[in-house]
Formats: sequence, C-alpha cells, structure tokens
Amino acid sequence: MLLLSAFLFILILFLITFFYLKGGDFKEMFKENPDDLKFDEQENRTQGWLFIAFGIGFLLFILFLIFKWGGSILPESGSVHGADVDSLMLITGVIISIVFVITHVLLFFFVFKYAFNKNRKPAFFTHNLKLELLWTALPAMVLVLLISIGLYNWNSIMKPLDDKDDKVLIEIYAKQFDWTARYAGNDGKLGRANIVLINNANFLGIDTTDVVSFDDKIVKNEFHIPVNKPVQFVFRAQDVMHSAYMPHFRAQMNCVPGLKTQFNFTPKYTTQEMRRITKNPDFDYMLLCNKICGMAHFAMKMKIVVESEEDYNKWLAINPTFR
Amino acid sequence: MDIIHSEHTHQESFISKYIFSRDHKMIAKQFMITGFTMGFIGIIMSVLFRLQLGWPGERFWINDLLLGSWANGGVIAPDKYLALVTMHGTIMVFFMLTAGLSGTFSNLLIPLQIGARDMASGFINMLSYWIFFISCIVMLVSLGVEGGAASAGWTIYPPLSALPEAIPGSGLGMTLWLVAMALFITSSLIGSLNYIVTIINLRTKGMTFTRLPLTIWSFLVTAILGVLSFPVLLSAVLLLVFDRSFGTSFYLSDIYIGGQALERFGGSPILFEHLFWFLGHPEVYIVLLPSLGITSEIVSTMSRKPIFGYKFMIGSILAIGGLSFIVWGHHMFVTGMNPFLGAVFTITTLLIAIPSAIKVFNYLTTLWRGNIIFSPAMLFSIGLISTFITGGLTGLILGDATLDINVHDTYFVVGHFHIVMGLSAVFGTFAGVYHWFPKMFGKMMNNTWGQIHFWITIVTAYGVFFPMHFLGLAGVPRRYYTNSTFPMFDDFVNLNEIISIFAIIAFLGQLIFLFNFLYSIFKGKKATQNPWNSNTLEWTTPVKHIHGNWPGEIPEVHRWPYDYNKPGYEEFIPQNIPLKEGEIESSH
Amino acid sequence: MENNLSISNYDFSENKKAQEPLLWIGLVSIIMFFAGLTSAVIVSSTSAAWKIFALPNTFWYSSAVIILSSITYQIGFSFIKKNNLKLPKILFISTLILGFAFIYFQYIGLTNLYQQGIYATGNQSTTSSSYFYALTVLHILHLFFGIISLGVVSTKSIMNKYNSNNYSGVKLSLTYWHFLGILWLYLFLFLSIMMSK
Repeated sequence: MLLLSAFLFILILFLITFFYLKGGDFKEMFKENPDDLKFDEQENRTQGWLFIAFGIGFLLFILFLIFKWGGSILPESGSVHGADVDSLMLITGVIISIVFVITHVLLFFFVFKYAFNKNRKPAFFTHNLKLELLWTALPAMVLVLLISIGLYNWNSIMKPLDDKDDKVLIEIYAKQFDWTARYAGNDGKLGRANIVLINNANFLGIDTTDVVSFDDKIVKNEFHIPVNKPVQFVFRAQDVMHSAYMPHFRAQMNCVPGLKTQFNFTPKYTTQEMRRITKNPDFDYMLLCNKICGMAHFAMKMKIVVESEEDYNKWLAINPTFR
Repeated sequence: MDIIHSEHTHQESFISKYIFSRDHKMIAKQFMITGFTMGFIGIIMSVLFRLQLGWPGERFWINDLLLGSWANGGVIAPDKYLALVTMHGTIMVFFMLTAGLSGTFSNLLIPLQIGARDMASGFINMLSYWIFFISCIVMLVSLGVEGGAASAGWTIYPPLSALPEAIPGSGLGMTLWLVAMALFITSSLIGSLNYIVTIINLRTKGMTFTRLPLTIWSFLVTAILGVLSFPVLLSAVLLLVFDRSFGTSFYLSDIYIGGQALERFGGSPILFEHLFWFLGHPEVYIVLLPSLGITSEIVSTMSRKPIFGYKFMIGSILAIGGLSFIVWGHHMFVTGMNPFLGAVFTITTLLIAIPSAIKVFNYLTTLWRGNIIFSPAMLFSIGLISTFITGGLTGLILGDATLDINVHDTYFVVGHFHIVMGLSAVFGTFAGVYHWFPKMFGKMMNNTWGQIHFWITIVTAYGVFFPMHFLGLAGVPRRYYTNSTFPMFDDFVNLNEIISIFAIIAFLGQLIFLFNFLYSIFKGKKATQNPWNSNTLEWTTPVKHIHGNWPGEIPEVHRWPYDYNKPGYEEFIPQNIPLKEGEIESSH
Repeated sequence: MENNLSISNYDFSENKKAQEPLLWIGLVSIIMFFAGLTSAVIVSSTSAAWKIFALPNTFWYSSAVIILSSITYQIGFSFIKKNNLKLPKILFISTLILGFAFIYFQYIGLTNLYQQGIYATGNQSTTSSSYFYALTVLHILHLFFGIISLGVVSTKSIMNKYNSNNYSGVKLSLTYWHFLGILWLYLFLFLSIMMSK
C-alpha cells in the first residue's frame, strides 16, 4: 500500500506540474483552444520535449526492470534442446532490441525535431520506390535467418524418440486439479487405459487385464527423471484441457481429453547442479498447468527431481508396481 | 416509399432521430456510446482483478461494493476471478474494440469520406446497431446469473466451456455468453456487408480506389475480414451450443468428470481451436486495422505532409488482411499439432512482419521533415506507432514455434497482445475521437486535458504491460488467481504490485477523458467547418448535421486526399478542388 | 460512382443499386459458414470413432426436386423479362410448392435415418450422424428465408407488381434460391462422400 500512495503522490505531482506549465491559472486549464489550428509554437515545442523526456524515461524504466528483475527470469535451460531455444531467443532478442531502439529513437527524434515551427515548409515527399523496397527487403532478409534457425530447431525438438532408443517413458496424466505420473516399468510400455474403467482405486482408468500395465508405476506429488537420458513424455487428460508446462526445460505440451500428445527432452543438470547454478538452495524443477482448467488452475503443480541414474533407479525401486 | 426529403422540410420525430435512426452519423454515435460504456465496464473489471494480483488475498471494500457475492469478505473467489478475466477479454475484444471502434468510425467516416448520402442500406445499419445493443444487454445480464458469468477464458475452449461440472461459469452464464456472441456476430456481419457495399458502390464521382483515404481502405479490408471470418466463429459457436444443450459430441471425447464417464466419443477439442482461431486471428486485425487507418489519416494531416508511400500502405493493409487467414495455427503450436503444420504456420506468421515493417517505416518517413502539430489526436497517433512497434516486435518471438513452446500462454503473451492490439487499438480509438469529435458533435475537445490524458495513458499503459514480458520470461502462466503457490515466482511480488498501481492510475486517467468528453459536448468551443485544415470530404459538410450530409450536390473528387504543402500551391487542397491550370495530379 | 443526386430527391429508405451486391456478399458469408462446418466434418472424420452409414434414397428425390424448382423459377423469371405476366404466376407458385416438397422429402429422409437408429443427439449418436442432421437442418433454416422471399414474389406477381421494367426483387430472390439449390447439392455430395469413407 505504501507503493500505491507513492505513485498516487507522483500522479498528483504530475498534474500540478502541468498546471504550472499552463501558467498556474486554473481557468487556463479550461481555456478554449485557440482559433488558429497551430495552437501555439511554445506548446508544440513543449510536447516535443515531453516526447524526448518520455523516450529517456522509457529507456530508464526498461533498464530498471532489467537491473531489478532481469536476474529473476528463467535460469539456464535444464534440458539439452533448451540451449538451442535459448540461443535462438537471444538472437531474436538482440535483433528486436536493436530495431526497437532504432525505430523509437527515430520516432521521438523526428517528433521533437519537426515540432511545429511557422517558418518551416514541410517536404512534399509522396513516395520513393527504392526506399520502400529497401524496407521490404531488409525485414525479409532478417526473417529468412530467423525462420531457418527456428524451423531447424522446431523439427529436431518435435521429433519423437525412436523405439530402439534407450529412454524413460513417462505418462503425465492431468485432471482437475492435480498431476499424476505413470512410469512404463521394466517392459518399457504403458498399459492401456479407458475412462469407463475409472474408479477411486484406479483413477487413471488403467486396463487391469492388460499384461503390459502390471509393472507400471504410478506416482503423485513429485516424479524423478535421470540426468542425460532422453525422457519420452506422453500426455493425457481426464476432464478438460490442461497444459503440461515445464519452463526450466523449455518444454510445454497440451493435455487434451481423448487425445494422446507427446514431447521429449533430455535433462542436462540434476536438481542439485541447478541449485548451484541458480545459487538458490531451494530451487526445484516444476510442472505447472498452463491452460485454464477451472477454479484451482493456479494450484496444479508437481515437483520434478532430476538426479543421477543410480539415485533415480533407487527411487524408482521403492515405488510399488501397479499390480 | 416516395417521401420527398429536402433540407428544410425533412422533420424527424425524436424516436426516428435519436433511437431508431437510419442516419449513419447518429448510428456511429450510438455505437460509440454503447461501445465505450462496455469498454468502461471491461476496464473496471481489469482493475478489480489487478487488485487481486497485486495484493493477493487482501480485502478491498471496492470488491464488496461492485462484486457482491463474487467477492465474499472483499476477496474475489478463484472461479469468479476467472469469470472477470473472461468477461474482460470478451468485452474488450468484441464489444469495445470491434463494435465500439469499427462500428463508430466505419459508420461515421465511410459515407462522409467517400461522398455518399448514407450507407447502402440505412435499415440494415440500424438493425446492426440494435442487434449489437441486445447482445450487450445479454452479455451484461450473464454477469448476474446463478453460477456466475462464463469463466472459460475469452477463447472458451471446450470441454471447460462445454461442461457445467467443470466450472460453475459454464452453466447458464456460458449459455448467455454464446447467445450474446451469436447476436454479436450477426450484428457485425450485416454491418460489414453494408460497409463493403457502400464503399464499392456509392463512391462519389472521381473517387477512384487510388483516391480513397487510407481510413476507408482499412475499413474495407476490416469489413472483408469480418465477412469471411465471423461466419466460421458462428459455426464453431453453434456446434458448441449443440454439444452443451443437445448432447452431441463434436468437441468432446473420453471425458470423466464429476464422478462419471460421459458417453461422448469421437469429438475433439482441437477442432474448436481450429475453428475459433480461424476467426480469432483475423479478429486481431479487425481490431487493429481501423486504428492503423485512422492513424495514417491523422499523421498526414497533423504533419502537414502527404502520407509517405500511399500505394505501399494499401498493399500492406491488403497483405496483412490476406495473411491473417493463414496464420491461425500459431495459437496452437503446443496442442500436439503435426510439426510440419507448425513449421508452415511459423513461416506464414513471421511473414506478417514485412507489411508491418513497411507501415512503421512509412509512418516514420511521413513524420520526417513534417511540421507536426500536437493535437491530442496526433499525440495518440504517435503513441500508436510506438505501441505497434513495441508489441509487434515481440510477435517475432511468439510466432516462432520453437520459442513459443516456452512462452506460450504466459504473461509474455499477455504483454504482447495487450500492447500490439489492445493499446494500439485503444490509442487509435482515442485519436479518432479527438480528431472527429468536431464532426460528431460540432464542438472541440479541450486540448490541455487531452494532452494530460495522453501522457497519463501512455506512461501507465507501458507501465502495466511492459513488465509483463519479464513475468513471461520467468514462466509465469496467465490466468493464475495468485502466483503464491509457486515459490519460484516470489521475486515478482513487488513487480505485480507496481503493475497493479499503474493499472489503477491508468483507469483514473481515463476518467479525465470521460470528463473532457462530456464537458466538451455541452460546454466545448464551437467547431469550425474544417478545424484541422484537412483535405478529406467529411470536412466539406456543414457543422450542423443533416440527413444526407451535403445540403446541395455531393462534391466531385479531383485528387488524392494528401495534397498538403504541395510546392507552388496552397497549404492544403481538399479533394473536391479541381486541378488548377497546369497542375499535375500528385503521383503516388 | 455517379451518385450526384441532389438531396431533395434522394430516397433514404433503400438504395436499390446496392441490393444485389449486398446479397452477393451475404452469400459469401453463408458460404464461409458452411465452409467452417464442412471443414469441421473433415477434421472429425479422421477420428477412429467416425461411423459411416448409408443415406436413404429420399435425399436423391429431394435433390431432384430442388433442381426442378430452380428450373421453374428461372423460366418464370425469363418470362417476366419478356413482359409475359401470366405464366410466371403459375411457375412461381409451383416453385413454392416444390420448395415445400423439398422440405418434406428432407423430413422423410431424416425420419428414415432416425428409424434406422441413427440419432442426432444423445448417447447413441455419433459425430457423423450429428453432423448430418446439423447440416441438413441448418440448410433448411436458410431455405426458410428463401421460401419467405418466394412467397413475397408469388404474391406480388399475382398482384401484377412485376413487369419487364421492374423485376429486381425477383432477381434477388432467384439468385438466393439458386444458391440454396447449389448449396444443398454440394452438401449432399460432400456428406455422401464423408459418410461412406
């Protein structure tokens, strides 16, 4: 609330400044506009300066945000493919920052420089094919770069893992309002499931007659994955759409009722390593719900633990099989 | 009907003049008042949920006052928070920025700027407004029903929107939402029909397509987008109605909810997303293009300089309109769609950057070596150029499937579309109101208050939406009632507070506009016929409105609308002035 | 582009010149509406739960009827243009009757389906049957407006309101009626393919 009062104070200060700019006369604030279209040269100059001030203020505000919260954005990617995402993000970020700064400097400078002056004769400049082709071609060239890197990454990220590959297969099951993970077990296969089989004891609706399902392992609250080994995720949803969002791994996929979706990635750092990298002893990987799914949408979470393969195997062994 | 109209004998009763008017100028005002009222309600909603996000769990008396049972003890309930978010989105996108903006300025400017007595069909035009009005009423009524208003987000993805068991708002509230939208779509469709036909058929003599003001070009493309995309939304909405009320399963399959398995098979929620976003993306341009048109007109007039690259501007409007139909998939990169399709949509989406860049650079070149007069309309137009750049650039991140994976549905998206489409469209609306207020009401708005309004608005608007990019980069999902369940977001408590404070001030700033608006209608200075020394035809009509716009003959057009400071001629030359002897028509 | 009428003789009620383009653009939006629905059918048909079924022959009869109605309407219209005012009265009325016959056959066809146990809604319905019912009914909904306009045209024709100088109303109605016929033939063809694949 302190902040709010401070800001309201600034607002009032702003209004008072404007009031004085208008000669400190309250009637002046309600003065009718002058007859002449051009108001008054002084007034236009003031507005020009205000744009310069706004430009500088905007820049300072961005720098303040970067300084204060730039460190709070997602840390280095915890997955292998995430590094490519981050580097493309960096390239795109640099390009758009440059364009952002150049265009805004031009905008505010032109506005300031060409504020009304009764002696100036504006240029009659209707078109110039060369200039226009230039700024058709320039963005096109930049886009070719961005699109080609983007598509290369996209195709490699979305490629499903081969059946032969040594991998961990996990089903992430979403329902209002929690997550469940099911491990494929020793056979590396997930048992069939059907909604008509759902009951309190079998809330995933797993087909108990399916031999493949017997060694499946169901866990709640947190799930573990081994570092440096590809993890194949399969997503299902019980009631409405959810979205499995694992921001630290640069991974997201919707969970759609009646549809199986998939995503895979290879974790790069264990939770412990990530705690060192982020210098945050309480750091944890998280699975969030990122598609509006009902009342407690904001509270759907599951902890992800990345650990060495031995620790992972030990943890997995403790968990009981489905049958 | 053989009623003989003439300027003095054409008497209208109160009802036919102010209520069931067929005069496009009156209908424009009706759209404006209704749309802005809806917009005002939408903004209040956003302030209320910003209070919750800034100070989660804190009690506010204003919640008790305005929300009543939605906020017992002054704290908004989680599901009602979603209802507020949903209704804010729906109202702002459709009712304020589609009907309020396009309805107002298309109606006002199309006949005036092309030189027509009225719209092609005054009756359809009136019908369009009244259907819109009923739709507003239904939407507002849905706020008060049992279970609360629709709460599935403005995109109303099924199954959440289809099943009342999923969230209370999907009961009667959702039904009314769908009814209101069906009405809204009808209104918007017949309105668009009228705009297109008017522009194509009723242009005055000499008003060729290359002499049309850019406003009209953007209204034309907007209306075409509407005619092509709104019917598809209507079909999506209809199928959802069938699913909800008649037990079909177009969007539903394999669902277990409320303790039982539903006997619905074969449908797919993804189908709804496809149909919805086939409208949804053009809708973004339905909102944005009129603002860009208004800005083009104002930037040129107030720089006292022709718009730079008139033909490229038209080309980019057409290109944006055309591309908008083949990019909808970028809203669905993480729905598990075929990666090949994802790649195609990435390419088409990023292509939109090219016409957008052309527009921005052409605006900048128009300002260059101009003689800029900072009327409030011009201030907002410059603001629009800034927000269009800022918001458009982050689109390069969201449109790229690879990058979208991680920022999809986070605050990054919220920041992006609020700046590029929300702010730009709102700025365009304000610019239009300040600029054409003299035409609508015969009075001038107060400049000083207009300037104060602009500066408060742009500072607070960036204050609200720019920091959201940082939230998004930290992975904060949108539509979260509170971020406190995840310790990883604790760093942002103060930032959320700052955003909320900016939002409150932004709202207070709009009260200044409201005051200025009402004050000027009654006490404003009388306007002259052409207060901005503008070239377009609307300023050749008398200040006092008459049905039919021009008392005598409709003026004939002899030149393009941007002859400002043409070397060797007057400072400005309206379109209806014939070429002087030896004058060559400005090439463009 | 030459609209330089003086305001004193400008008819504000309707702009006659604009009616035809209004209709055409309206038709475009109806096309988009059905395009949305038929692409939904295509998407849904990829599902494993998509069930095929045979369409009753009645829909062939109704298709023939709607083609016939378009022909009678067109002939009536060409007589009006030649200022022959008697025959059109009969032709318009028979078009109207054929229009009702079309709706009747559609109704019979849907009832047939229902009796075969192919339901529009409820537990035993499938998406394919729901789509079939929905599209057929939505087409009939659009047809109602055609019937109304046909009724107006027939009445006015009986009252001798049309002649070789004044037939724009007939032309509008005729365009819409042809459109409805083509729309049904498209839907019928499309649905036959989708329901049998």
